[in-house]
Formats: sequence, C-alpha cells, structure tokens
Amino acid sequence: MAAPRDDEAEWSAEAARRVWGGAVPLQVHLHDADVTTLPPPPPFLTLGPRIGYFPLLVPIIKAHFSSTLPPGIDTVWFEYKGLPLKWYIPIGVLYDLLCADPERPWNITVHFRGYPSEILTPCDGEDSVKWSYMNSLKEAAFIITGNSKNVMNMSQADQGALWQSVMKGNLDGYMNISTRLKLGPFEEDCLVRTSSVEGQQGSDEPESPGSGKPCRVPVRLYVRSVQEDLYDLEDAVPVGDWENISYINRPFEVRKEEGRSYITLKHALKTLLPEFFSLKASGTPDDSGHAQTLDSSPDVPGTPRRYQKAESASSRQQEADVANKGKVKLVRVQGIELDMDIPFLWVANNLKNPECYLHICVYVGTRKQQPKQGR
Amino acid sequence: MAAAAEQKKVVVHFRSTGNAPQLKQSKFKIGGNEKFLKIIDFLRRQIHQDTVFLYVNSAFSPNPDELIIDLYNNFGIDGQLMVNYASSMAWG
Repeated sequence: MAAPRDDEAEWSAEAARRVWGGAVPLQVHLHDADVTTLPPPPPFLTLGPRIGYFPLLVPIIKAHFSSTLPPGIDTVWFEYKGLPLKWYIPIGVLYDLLCADPERPWNITVHFRGYPSEILTPCDGEDSVKWSYMNSLKEAAFIITGNSKNVMNMSQADQGALWQSVMKGNLDGYMNISTRLKLGPFEEDCLVRTSSVEGQQGSDEPESPGSGKPCRVPVRLYVRSVQEDLYDLEDAVPVGDWENISYINRPFEVRKEEGRSYITLKHALKTLLPEFFSLKASGTPDDSGHAQTLDSSPDVPGTPRRYQKAESASSRQQEADVANKGKVKLVRVQGIELDMDIPFLWVANNLKNPECYLHICVYVGTRKQQPKQGR
Repeated sequence: MAAAAEQKKVVVHFRSTGNAPQLKQSKFKIGGNEKFLKIIDFLRRQIHQDTVFLYVNSAFSPNPDELIIDLYNNFGIDGQLMVNYASSMAWG
C-alpha cells in the first residue's frame, strides 16, 4: 500500500519541478521605432519561465538595449505578430495560446514607447505583477474555500517570501509557504460528501460553508478560434486581436457520479465548455465522461431539424449554437497536448500555476473568422 | 466571440470603503458579457477619480478582462455582484 502512494507523491513532485523549471526560449527584437543606432542592436536571447510574466524580464532586456534607446521615459510592452501581449497572463500560457505551432525561439518584439493603453492595462513593472498575482491567488482561494482569508491573513513577511519564490522560480521556498494556505491538493474523495446531499431531492441545497459543498477547482480558459478546415497548426492565422480569444473563468465543481472511478479531462472540459463540445441533442446530462470521444460529433454537426416535433426548442437552439461555434481541435496545458482520458484532478493538482489556477488553452475550429464587432 | 447568445444582465452593488466618495445610487445593471474593466471605468466616471481600487466581496481585485457574468456566477451573493471600492489599497 505504501509503495504506490510514494510513487504518486514522487510523480507529483516531479511534475511540479517540470512545471516550475519549464521555460520558453525567447528571441526579443527591439521595435524599429525605438532604434536610434546604426546598425540596429542584435536581438536578445533569454529564457522566459513558463510560470513567469513578461514585465519581470524587463530589467535584463532593458540592460541589453540600453545603449540604443531614445531618451525619455520608458513604458515597456511586448508584442507578437502585431498583438500586444497581456502582461498578467503567464508567459507559458501566452506561448501555448498564440504560437499554434510552437516556434523556438519565440520571436517577440519589445517596445519602449507608445504603450497601447486602449488594449493593455497600465503596468508599473514588478509591483503591478505582484499585485495581479496576489489578487489571482486570493480569487483562487475564494473559489476553493469560499473566502480569501487564508491568503489575507498571511503575514507581510510570508507574502513577500511567497512572491519572491514565484519570481525566482524557487519551488521549495514556494512549497514551504503555500502548503500552509491549504488550497490543495484536490481529492476525488470530496465527491463523497456531495453525493449524499444530491441523494435527497438535491435542488435546493442549503449553502452551508465547509462540509457538504462540492469542491471547486479554479480554472482559467482561453478559447482561440481557428479555421475549421485547419489541418496543420503551422497554418493557423495569427491572433490579430484579443477579441478573437474568449477568456473564460469557470471553476470546475467536483461531483460524484455513479459508475465512474475518476473524472476525465474530457468530462471536465465538456462540463466547463458545453458550448464548444458536441452535446447530445436531447439535453440529458452526459453521465459517463467516457462514452463519447472528442471527435464523435457528426461530420455535419446539427443543421437544425425543424420538422422533428419531439425536439424541444432549447435543444434545437443548443444544437445550432454548437454548429456555429465549432469543435475543439486542440487542448494545451503547460505546453502539453494532454490525453483527454487523463484524470482531471491530477491535471489540476500537478499542472496548475503558482496562483492555484489551472490555465487551459483550447483551440476551436469555426466556420468563419468572426468579423470584428464595433470599434 | 462572447457577444453571442446570453446577454444576461448582472446587478452590481457598489459599496465605498474608507474615505472613497459614496454613490447616490449604489446598484446598477450591467451586461454580463462586458468585462470587469467596464465596471472600473464606470465607477471612475461616477466618482470623478482616476485612482480607485475595486474588490469583489471585500476580498480580491479581479483582472480587468474577466467577464462580469463569470464573476457573478462564481462570486455573486443574493443575486448581485458585490463590488467594494476604495481610494487606496484596502485589502492587500
């Protein structure tokens, strides 16, 4: 009995080491408009930690380009193929999301002037990133425990040390403090309590804090639409506008269901993103989590069949929505295209980022690139 | 992409903290498909201050791109989204 447990713990420790050690090789080019010397400076090569954030790289990047920058005040931002990069999204997530076919090194452009404040929120370097990180951590804690007290009650010293460990990629230092926050790991057992509540009538369960509530896993989803007929990821049209990415925050509620030993990633994603996965037209809850494969939607998904009287209006609507919104082409977490039958809670526990959010990039094929609305 | 089907409106309940100016009206309806940024901008205009810190449930500050409907579904209480605001950082 002891051996498999140990194996599992070792596996988890190894996964965390890899997530924390993971980095994206970056080739950073200085934008032409900021070049004041001839010849222009060579690009700067560095590693961007997957769990890190772009503004934290600014000191070393600035040192490299300092001799060529125009005089004045710097407002640094990064861009990939014309798209300003949101600084609060971890580097690894941006890479997984925007580089359909992972390019190495990742060629990005740094700007020291002309901050696109209509697209990016202002950033004052490390302080802003720390603020954003701590707030995401509190938000995740709220989802998991129903409040943010564990994080808010940390001493200033612990908060500072936690942030330093994240910034420096110091996993041991992080674990020392974060384990005290009691924000994980999630276990399949927390299903048991829920099932007893659901057994009796179920509809109007009282909102009592603590026991009896299903546990919730904080998830941030980034849904990118690509051409429906995309065959080779290399041919994906680059993201030109953040409006083409749906940023969705939906926690996954762990619920016990009969005849299932564990929750698969596939089941979790179907539950989180019903609009992007094929649904059974009847609208009955999909109970297995195993039965359907990702590609089991018919080739011509749901042209609404108006003449079948038995179908309810809502299910027709659902079907039409699915047809419009297309189907899932790729799911990526921490740079890995995961097996859809992998236990979801393993993914949540081992591939989450240090703010306790699991970030999932989903590529969805759609008929047409939606025209830009407004602006 | 988000502009599709559900245009549910969310009731946002503003509460000032510290010496931030009070609002005459504290509850507003905002489209669920809007981002939290919309709430930030709205409040800035209402209280005529550029620097304002917003918190959900006196706990955390969501990032400006989060959809209001997600915040409501995840953190809403009694049919509304509680947003506390302050002129300086209130909840670290």
